[in-house]
Amino acid sequence: MKKFISLMAVACLTMGMFTGCGSTDSNETDTTQSSQVSEDMVTVGIAQFAPHGSLDNCVEGFKLGMAEAGFVEGENVTYDLQNAQADMANTNQIAQSMVAANVDLLCGVATPMAQACYNAANGKIPVIYTAVTDPVAAELANEDGTSVGNVTGTSDKLAIDAQLDMIRKFLPEAKTIGILYTTSEANSVSAIEEYKALAPNYGFEIVESGISQSSDIPIAATDLAGKVDCISNLTDNTVVSALATVLDAANKAGIPVFGSEIEQVKNGCVATEGLDYIALGKQTGEMAARVLKGENAQDIPFETITEYSLYINSAALENLGLSCPEDLKATATEAAEAE
Amino acid sequence: MALLLSVLEQGFIYAMLALGIYITYKILDFPDLTVDSSFPLGAAVSVVMIKAGINPYITLPAAFIAGGISGLVTGIIHVKFKVRDLLSGIIVMTMLYSINLHITGGQANVPIFSDDTIFTLSPIKNIAGDYNTVIVIFLIALICKIAMDLYLKTKSGYLLRAVGNNETVVTALAKDKGTVKIIGLVIANALVALAGCVMCQQQRFFDISMGTGTMVIGLASVIIGINVFGKLSFLKATTAVIIGSVIYKACVAIAISMGMQAMDMKLVTGALFLIILIVSSFKKGGAGND
Repeated sequence: MKKFISLMAVACLTMGMFTGCGSTDSNETDTTQSSQVSEDMVTVGIAQFAPHGSLDNCVEGFKLGMAEAGFVEGENVTYDLQNAQADMANTNQIAQSMVAANVDLLCGVATPMAQACYNAANGKIPVIYTAVTDPVAAELANEDGTSVGNVTGTSDKLAIDAQLDMIRKFLPEAKTIGILYTTSEANSVSAIEEYKALAPNYGFEIVESGISQSSDIPIAATDLAGKVDCISNLTDNTVVSALATVLDAANKAGIPVFGSEIEQVKNGCVATEGLDYIALGKQTGEMAARVLKGENAQDIPFETITEYSLYINSAALENLGLSCPEDLKATATEAAEAE
Repeated sequence: MALLLSVLEQGFIYAMLALGIYITYKILDFPDLTVDSSFPLGAAVSVVMIKAGINPYITLPAAFIAGGISGLVTGIIHVKFKVRDLLSGIIVMTMLYSINLHITGGQANVPIFSDDTIFTLSPIKNIAGDYNTVIVIFLIALICKIAMDLYLKTKSGYLLRAVGNNETVVTALAKDKGTVKIIGLVIANALVALAGCVMCQQQRFFDISMGTGTMVIGLASVIIGINVFGKLSFLKATTAVIIGSVIYKACVAIAISMGMQAMDMKLVTGALFLIILIVSSFKKGGAGND
């Protein structure tokens, strides 16, 4: 009996391996067949680093942008969407398996995924990335903005200048801005540096508080909220995921929290001069469409989001006894009413 | 074919790690969580050296030594300060997180796309073509395996195995079992850091979070290898561990290529793990042996 069970286990595993190989083979035949049937059907692999509202929006926007440029899902493009669940071991393997499946284009969402895709594609398959804050630091682009290889995409670099200007208008008296960030997130670390460099221009001092994991947030946020006049968020994945905790601490201290993108304002931040990830994804989708139509990814410099918009949350403002400054009212959109 | 190559590449890289975990988990019976941080430690040391223009092949021994030191610290905390095994690993793992960030100068992500690696400088690059990466990784893993086989036959290696099986034997031989444990942890973490070193050069970037879940992958590889292939008498345990690692990665690749929902991946991995544990405990004649 025991022998039987262990034999079964071995058999299952071996069969698993064979079926695995078998299915890859049939996939390959499928693609060849379908490409014979319709020349225009393309396969795009979308590799997303983590399940996360902003990144989901990127993917949604990407498909919209592709559709507007003539690549409609189900009609002439199929998407293979994979999510690494923020696990670096999966990141690599997903990128490699997409390359092995010979997709026509790879879309890497967030920095580690973009890097893994670029490495796996090895120049043979064009890679379009999105939600990479600093493509130059990630070595996906050269200092002058040109691409390092068969790769290009969009950056979700924050409009830090605009954000600081906005905070100054909302809080004419404020002196310090607190920023909570995760020390393991490359994007956040580079954003902090930029905040520190630009803050003096607007008469602010930046107080940073670095955390290493989600469970550090309650203490760090309470401590920070007690020390500063307001808090400004980055696109830090860990902090944004625990936004409610940050808002709670800030509300107790009676200070406002400024967001870095519209989702955060919907969820209770007072305002943002910021990113709309759907728009960012759309821009990325349009770039991908250009590449699929024959342009060389290497010849397209990476793009940052072209339009920032001011989103406010009036209810959150009122709770803190604040209001939107008159000169900003004309351009401000109520986040909850935005599409 | 490309998928098979990718499975072999990943499998052999994690095989080095699994060899390390084989020493701690299977031989020493020591649940060593240090590995979740000694893996990125090896990678951090490597990228910094590569960025400084040092020959990538030097990063291999450097990462090996760095990992060894982290194991040494865990060992000393456990043996000399009598901190429980699980806790000493957790303490060192936690501290290494900061140290890893310090090594890279505060950067959580360091790309080395434009730098030479052990793969771009490989002497067989032109002959091997697409197989270059997998051959280089395989050779490094093979050297680790052979070195470990040879070591386990030495007197020190014999003592190492004895500590796991029966501590009193070691004491009866007038040897300090604590020292033997420390040696085991040093070798284990050195191997894990070496895997991190190869990994970051294969993926061409370092990320501080690359160690998350290392322990689980390593354990799964060891358990698959030992429980499924360990009974085959013509296979050495070390070989079984390497095969286990490749199979684990093959399972992940199959799950991905069959279009399994990504959010189910961890569930499937856990279920696979559980099935193998249950099956192996039946083999031993009753659950709850481990």
